[in-house]
Amino acid sequence: MNYKAVIIGGSAGSFQVITRILHSLPPTFPLPVLLSLHRLKHIRSGFVEALSIKAGIPIVEPFDKEQIKPGKAYLAPANYHMYIELGNKIALSTEESVNHSRPSIDLSFITAAQVYREKLVGIILSGANRDGAYGLKKIKDLGGTIIVQDPAECQVKTMTEASLKLTKADYIFSTQEIIKFLQNIKTTAP
Amino acid sequence: MIIRYEVGIVETRNVIKSILDTYGYDFRDYALTSFKRRLEQIIMNNGFKDADGLISRLTTNKDYFETFLHEITPETTEMFRDPSLWRTVRDELLPDLMKGGSTKPKLWVAAFDSGEELYSLAIILKELGLLSEVQLYASAISDKAIEKIKSGRIDSKELEVNDANYLRFIGKRNFSDYYKNDNGQIILDSSLIQGVNFIKLNTVYDNVPGGIKLILFRNQMIYYNQILQDKVLNQITNSVVPGGYLAIGAKETLENTTTSTKFTLFNDLDKIYKKKTN
Repeated sequence: MNYKAVIIGGSAGSFQVITRILHSLPPTFPLPVLLSLHRLKHIRSGFVEALSIKAGIPIVEPFDKEQIKPGKAYLAPANYHMYIELGNKIALSTEESVNHSRPSIDLSFITAAQVYREKLVGIILSGANRDGAYGLKKIKDLGGTIIVQDPAECQVKTMTEASLKLTKADYIFSTQEIIKFLQNIKTTAP
Repeated sequence: MIIRYEVGIVETRNVIKSILDTYGYDFRDYALTSFKRRLEQIIMNNGFKDADGLISRLTTNKDYFETFLHEITPETTEMFRDPSLWRTVRDELLPDLMKGGSTKPKLWVAAFDSGEELYSLAIILKELGLLSEVQLYASAISDKAIEKIKSGRIDSKELEVNDANYLRFIGKRNFSDYYKNDNGQIILDSSLIQGVNFIKLNTVYDNVPGGIKLILFRNQMIYYNQILQDKVLNQITNSVVPGGYLAIGAKETLENTTTSTKFTLFNDLDKIYKKKTN
């Protein structure tokens, strides 16, 4: 499959994993990486800086309607939902929290699935609630490829187990295997 | 989260067209994803069978259309969302705006929210003893929204957040001084907004007040596509006096809009712009 985007959802216990994944990506990584991670809603600065320290690709907290580009990571800003809009753009929203979360991983996943369909890789990591499980199923239903971090490796397994209960993952991977998958990913870029 | 009904792009366009044809309200340049999601929620919450069910109710029932206008505009915000913005309003903007002039400065809460921005501003003015020294305007898309704001009823689920925001804003009192708790329903003190002029606006803001010194227009443009962002920003820009301020959402920007040359960035963190004087 030739992919157009990677989207990653995570919550409690996912920070180390995300850091390792971002660290492993080469500056030439051919796809955009969309990050929908639960975070404290009133702390607006510091997170993107912390993730950037060791990352192989630039990470931004996008502005509304920002054009999505390959080789760049987009972190959902504090206290906003992050949608993927037709035309390959980010759209932000202050609509009510979903699963007690804003950003909600479900909403990011669902909207990304509707835009990228089978050309999307969805990855769900460690987390303490069920947010993301439905969205991951949606990615799968629309033909995308889904990866669940091996619950045995997760610091908190509620999110990955909820995902596996709802749909069948294409891959159940350790962090190292997720990294390997991404490093070998094929794209639609010429 | 379970979505029982999903609205497609064609259905979304059909709803938009029938509203435009029947009532003249134009949602064509609203951002598609959030608009679609709002439609899905409205269809679910009202028990419509599908988008056609919604259309048929909309086009035959004007009362329901008013309700729809209220429901389609995302109205959840928080009291004192982004406390640093409110500190800047209190410590820098208001002292500047109150300088000179014999007429009361006009301040306008321009985004269609559920009242939290207006009440937050009113609380600041009250704490500074300025509530009767300014003229407050607030816009809303429907009579229902105006009624709701006047009632002071806000989302009680957000009480903890509102409290925490007020603490971070470092107000003079306790947030609980400004509301009563009626069996779990939080009701803000509506005397705070007694002198407010409510302006009913349509989706393209073609009837805006003039001579405004401060506009709060936060997290409204995120629900527009770039065409409507430009259009509405132009309207709003015309209503700000030179040297006046415009605050937009922390993750919104005037860059990439035709309005950007008319403002200088006054505060980057909270996206406060100051209108140039020439």
